Amino acid sequence: MPSFLEITLGIIQALMLMALSPLMTGIMRKTKAKTQKRMGAGIFQPYYDMVKLMRKDEVVSDQSSWIFRSTPWVNFAAIGTAAFFIPVFLSYSPFGLVGDLLLVVGLFGLARFFTMLAGLDTSSAFGGIGSSREMMVSTLLEPALFLAIFVVALTYGGTNLSTLVEGASNSSLLPHPQLIFAAIAMFVVILGETGRLPFGNHATHLELTMMHEAMVLEYSGKSLALIDWAQSIKQVILFSLIVNIFTPWGIASSVSAISLGLGLVIFIVKISVFAIFVAFLESSIAKWRLFRIPDLITVAIASSLVGLVLYYL
Amino acid sequence: MIENLILFQIIVSLFLGGAILGLISRNGRFSRPLIFIPSMMGAILTILFSVTVITTKSMSWEVPHVIPFFNLEIFVDGISAFFMLLIGIVSFAVSLYSMGYSKEYEIKKRISIFGFLFNIFILSMILVVGSNNGFFFLMFWELMSLTSFFLVIYDHDKEENVKSGMTYLVMTHFGTALIFVSFLLGYLQTGSFGFDSLRTSSSSFPHLIKDLMFVSAFIGFGTKAGIVPLHTWLPKAHPSAPSNVSALMSAVMIKMGIYGIIRTVFDFAGFGASPDYAWWGVLMVIAGSASALIGILYAVVERDIKRALAFSSIENIGIILIGLGLSVIFASYNLHTLSILALVASMYHTINHAFFKGLLFMGAGSVVHATHTKDIEKLGGLVKQMPWTSMLFLIGAISIAGLPPFNGFVSEWLGLQAILSSSQIPSTILQISIAFASLPFALTIGLAAATFVRLFSMIFLSKTRGTSLLHIREVPRNMIAGMAILASVCILFGIVPFLGISLLSTVFHLSSSPSSPYDAIALKNNDMTSFANLSMPVVAIMLSAVALGIFGFIRVVGGKTTKTIYGTWDCGFGKLNERMEYTATSISQPIRVVFKSLFKPHNETHKEFSIPENSYLVKTIKFNSTTKNIFEENLYTPIISSTLFLLDKVRKIQTGKINSYLLYIMITIILLLIFVRFNHA
Amino acid sequence: MGMIQFDVLTISGAILLIATFGVIARRGFMDWLNAYRLQSIVLAVVTAIIGYVTGIWEIYIAAGLTFVIKSLVIPKVLTHVTKSLEIESKTDFNPYLSLRASIIVSAFLVTMSYFLSQQIPFKSDPVVNVFLPVSMAQFFLGLFALVNRRTALSQVVGLLVIENGLFLFTLVLTHGVSLIIEVGIFADILVGIVISSILLFRMSRTFDSLDVDRLENLRDD
Repeated sequence: MPSFLEITLGIIQALMLMALSPLMTGIMRKTKAKTQKRMGAGIFQPYYDMVKLMRKDEVVSDQSSWIFRSTPWVNFAAIGTAAFFIPVFLSYSPFGLVGDLLLVVGLFGLARFFTMLAGLDTSSAFGGIGSSREMMVSTLLEPALFLAIFVVALTYGGTNLSTLVEGASNSSLLPHPQLIFAAIAMFVVILGETGRLPFGNHATHLELTMMHEAMVLEYSGKSLALIDWAQSIKQVILFSLIVNIFTPWGIASSVSAISLGLGLVIFIVKISVFAIFVAFLESSIAKWRLFRIPDLITVAIASSLVGLVLYYL
Repeated sequence: MIENLILFQIIVSLFLGGAILGLISRNGRFSRPLIFIPSMMGAILTILFSVTVITTKSMSWEVPHVIPFFNLEIFVDGISAFFMLLIGIVSFAVSLYSMGYSKEYEIKKRISIFGFLFNIFILSMILVVGSNNGFFFLMFWELMSLTSFFLVIYDHDKEENVKSGMTYLVMTHFGTALIFVSFLLGYLQTGSFGFDSLRTSSSSFPHLIKDLMFVSAFIGFGTKAGIVPLHTWLPKAHPSAPSNVSALMSAVMIKMGIYGIIRTVFDFAGFGASPDYAWWGVLMVIAGSASALIGILYAVVERDIKRALAFSSIENIGIILIGLGLSVIFASYNLHTLSILALVASMYHTINHAFFKGLLFMGAGSVVHATHTKDIEKLGGLVKQMPWTSMLFLIGAISIAGLPPFNGFVSEWLGLQAILSSSQIPSTILQISIAFASLPFALTIGLAAATFVRLFSMIFLSKTRGTSLLHIREVPRNMIAGMAILASVCILFGIVPFLGISLLSTVFHLSSSPSSPYDAIALKNNDMTSFANLSMPVVAIMLSAVALGIFGFIRVVGGKTTKTIYGTWDCGFGKLNERMEYTATSISQPIRVVFKSLFKPHNETHKEFSIPENSYLVKTIKFNSTTKNIFEENLYTPIISSTLFLLDKVRKIQTGKINSYLLYIMITIILLLIFVRFNHA
Repeated sequence: MGMIQFDVLTISGAILLIATFGVIARRGFMDWLNAYRLQSIVLAVVTAIIGYVTGIWEIYIAAGLTFVIKSLVIPKVLTHVTKSLEIESKTDFNPYLSLRASIIVSAFLVTMSYFLSQQIPFKSDPVVNVFLPVSMAQFFLGLFALVNRRTALSQVVGLLVIENGLFLFTLVLTHGVSLIIEVGIFADILVGIVISSILLFRMSRTFDSLDVDRLENLRDD
């Protein structure tokens, strides 16, 4: 049984992730604006948006059912729960005794399941577009993600995230060339899971480019706030996974004020750098045609497979 | 011991009684209770019986010389009792459900025949898992196949149903023949059809015999289980059968194939812990992966609810087989703990599939009952008319999609962990191939979620696409109760995996069993660091805590707001109608395109122009997209046509002339006499 | 057992075989019936001889029954039921094998019966030694008549010949220990004749012919 302090720290980590997530969205938007020679809104704008949405009245489609209404809550509960398993600035989470990386993937799946249903619940063709595309992309991302997890789990001995991150922080990347391939795969998967370019575009509401946005098009008010927030939490979870597994330097492995503080600062810096990098990348490439996306995912799968073979040979 | 025997005899007589009562009730007012109450009681006693056997000790019963030379031997050990438990729970729920469901048969058809077959069908499954003698096993197996065949063609006024029944009959006999071959090989070695003699002496069989026994039993039982490419009967027979029967068939009958494979591998075919046997497992993993992936790929584009569910059964059997195969591979390399892990994963999925597939087939049955259509393109919007059915179907859908905190997730988690553990096999080729096998496994899980999103949303959500919703009512209460039983078991086995795992560890005599319901499933590395942990009760608590927390947070920050009901956003163009919705075909279009090499989709567009010369003003446009079944076309059609060709030749023997038949008799007698003559000399 | 006895046995066996050949070598129904009657009389005599040789008195009863039923009652019944039939349906104009070929085949069958009965034990018993091949030959010849003939009437006769063969077979091997069974068989064959005559009527009414090839129409194509 983990101690009370550890549990508290674990909960703080999760709350940190939730609190930090809109900030990452803000940073990315700002970066994109800057690269496109725009001023852009401030990096705290997503917080203001969220509070504003929470105070607004909602419009609910007359075609929709309780599925539509409950989806934001299920969505947030699933993704919020997933946040508890992620080591953020401490290399282990006490919730590692409860669940592992596969559970996190499963929880994302639960959130996605309900989001897709909600997209189809309103009988709007936009929702249909979104759900249909999400169905295809998520289906294909699943094996890519699992294979990447496969490589990482074999290298560090477990799908338990604490074991993973601890193992990563204790070793250097050099003796594990397979991790580079896993990282490439994981990166593609993260772009896909968060609906970033070239998979989809967050910035527009054009039916050609929408995936996630199309599914949640009918939401407003509190529900929309919940969905947006959950989406940015998911993004931060995935970012911190890739950052903590593949660049584990500086994470706190013992509970002391200095190492915790240092770990926190380093984590924020790392994840911001990563977010800025993704935003740059997004500005420099165009959205791909929907049926070219499987090619990209295949690259990710192939990359993981190469990693696996490297691990075994 | 004695009590168990009496209990077993009561169970048998209850089902027989239900069958006979069904026959003599002759569609009277009380025929439904007369049929289904005995079967419900029998099912409850079966549950009781199997639980006592699992917790205390195994039961055996021998009736000598029921048929000359053959003793009826019944032996119920843990494994048999485990499968009996599944049969008991599912058939209890299905019987309860059938009380309401088969009401329409009372008007249209002879329910008494249905009741007879229904009871005998359940009884035959119980006897299959209980029999301890190859001869009786095959007899009950045949009884099970025949009763299910008659149930499949129960709606025989539709020619399509009779056709699928015939496919089923042919395939199932193909399987039975191979099972018979396997038993016969054992018989030739031991001189007895009794399973006991196989158990005791199988380890000393020649290796070739063991391999042959395994392969023929695997193909034979695999046909019943529906592994690709022997699956063709499944998507035909399940939609044709009445839904309560399809629930039974899919939830438990195809598990009899799994039961047979387990028995053969671990009991009869003399499996030994040596790498020589690893290829058995490899064969199972390959067959399982192929079944899982191909099954779900056909399910995701299917328009018929029940056929989609049937394809998904193929997928789930695939997952079960992957686990079983991994277990065999691990066991052959003497990795005992991992073998247990894979076995538990596989059997946990067997439990789960029995429950959620039974639930989903009953849900589909309720939809068909209410709307009289199986085509999801014509459905939609039922969630408001049928709130209970939709709720229960959703539980089944989430479970089968393998999402936490429902039961499907637990078994798929265990399965993935078993695949991950393949790194401990001391053979690089196997390590890498199993790692590659995780690709179809993971893809299958993703596609399963897509399949059930599509099914659920097309049946229950948004506006109806064809059928008028006006006269659609929620199904009767006993049907809902039947579904609710399985739904609650799904939730129970999801949130408290302790139940399933301790059940399995008792059944299979596993050493490591969890001590309390709160214990996490913990997998450890060799250096005792945690490989992975999973504690579903805590996950469930966390999910609800987060939901509660965010609810409070939103209320505090956002204050009280109102909800306005208004039309769906229509881009300002005016009324949206159901023709603008996404259809079932369009929603799976991207997947169809991605996997076009398998589906070979054929699209047809018919346009009609307002002015024939002007191709810009389109008046009507019709789009039709069909997919092909490559197995039917490339495997079965050639086999069937060449068989027909051969049989046409053979048919010449059947002249219809009395003289030629007499000639055959004469030739046979003469040949026999000549044979005897030379044998003596 | 003297030489004379053995000669009597051999000669009666040969006569029985020749009588059986009579059924094969004729065309018309009445000819067969006569041949059959003759064969039955010979059979009755043979039975009596066996009874004399073995000294079991029940066999005389069997011989008497054979004489009464097979050479009097059955031919009578058959002539009676076929009275109303046209002459064409009583004659087999077109057997599968010609008469000559049938006789050759029959000779072959007789040879085979002798060959096949070689391994059967009790060779020391002269009754068995002489009549066992004869009974088998009768059986095969009857069967051959069934196979070769096209009209239902001639098949009835073939059946009767088979029955005679079987009767002789059991008699030879068991020395007639169970009279009850013999009586049963006699009753059986009587009933069989009655049933087949009913069938013959129905058949001639349905198909306007007794040609069994017409039954081919019943086949599911």
